Amino acid sequence: MSIPVVILLMWAVTYPARLLGLSLGRLRLPPFWLAFLRFVPVSVFAALIVPDVLGSPEWPRRLVGCVVGGLLMWRTRNLALGILGGFGAYWVARGVGL
Amino acid sequence: MVTASPPSPFWPAFGRGFRALLPLWLGMVPFGVAYAITARAAGLSVWETQLLSLTVFAGASQFAAAGLFGAGASGWGIVATTFLLNARHVLYGLSLARQVRLTRGERLVAAQFLTDEAYGVAVVSGPREPGGLSFGFLLGAELSLYAVWNAATLAGALAGAVLPDPAALGVGVVFPLAFLGLLVPVLTDRPAVAVALLSGLGAWGLSRVLPGGLVVLLAGVGGALLGAVLVTRRGGAGEGA
Repeated sequence: MSIPVVILLMWAVTYPARLLGLSLGRLRLPPFWLAFLRFVPVSVFAALIVPDVLGSPEWPRRLVGCVVGGLLMWRTRNLALGILGGFGAYWVARGVGL
Repeated sequence: MVTASPPSPFWPAFGRGFRALLPLWLGMVPFGVAYAITARAAGLSVWETQLLSLTVFAGASQFAAAGLFGAGASGWGIVATTFLLNARHVLYGLSLARQVRLTRGERLVAAQFLTDEAYGVAVVSGPREPGGLSFGFLLGAELSLYAVWNAATLAGALAGAVLPDPAALGVGVVFPLAFLGLLVPVLTDRPAVAVALLSGLGAWGLSRVLPGGLVVLLAGVGGALLGAVLVTRRGGAGEGA
């Protein structure tokens, strides 16, 4: 299979997944499944974060950066400040040889 | 394109959505450049490298595909990996569709540009929008990332050889930080904190044996099920996690 064909097939399996969820929004759902959807962002974000930090070869530095960044976001509710502060803390941890 | 003669609420909302993603550009530019360098090293042409960003538009699966092309994997293997990595987008669409009513045409457009980051910002910032989350805000958030991702891909594909290694600059930590910025505002009660802890640790365990997209899908579904059980089986807020 040529590379452009593989790329188009990759598109053909990605786009429908994105469309399917958006298209099912008018389903009438019982309370259990409404609660399920309320928790999807919580569980998905956590599942994106933890392996990316603890599973990394440089996990001690990333952990320091994320603890500092998370505290900043919690206290200030400011995404940019949290990212920049966390990135700064990561570099400090890297500088001291963590 | 419609040139709005009566003042339309679309463009202000689009602008707010577009700007809401600006903090993430910091991580997206080096990530896009790194993807393009990887893809070029794997033997893809500049055009093929760009085509992946224009069509599939999913960072993790583009990286995975570049690695698999480089390793000489079969086309079907690459397509199957992409499917597994991106199946989680069904959950994003389902969750977003609770907050915003889209016409058929709007769904067709919004689906093409949906990503982890745009979903996250839309679902967290949407309720704070005047009148709630709108198609304009969602599309602005989505196209903000699409624009920077494709620009970074082109820059990396053309100039990769003379740029410093993004990994050496430590930009990998920007992604967990960005998602942390989305997670913190939704940790509003004890069940949410319990779900976050168990989903995160569960995903860490699963990530040792399974590919990343599947991990997010399984831990995402498992964690949300747990949360639904916690809040529908009892009335109070206390539950030892």
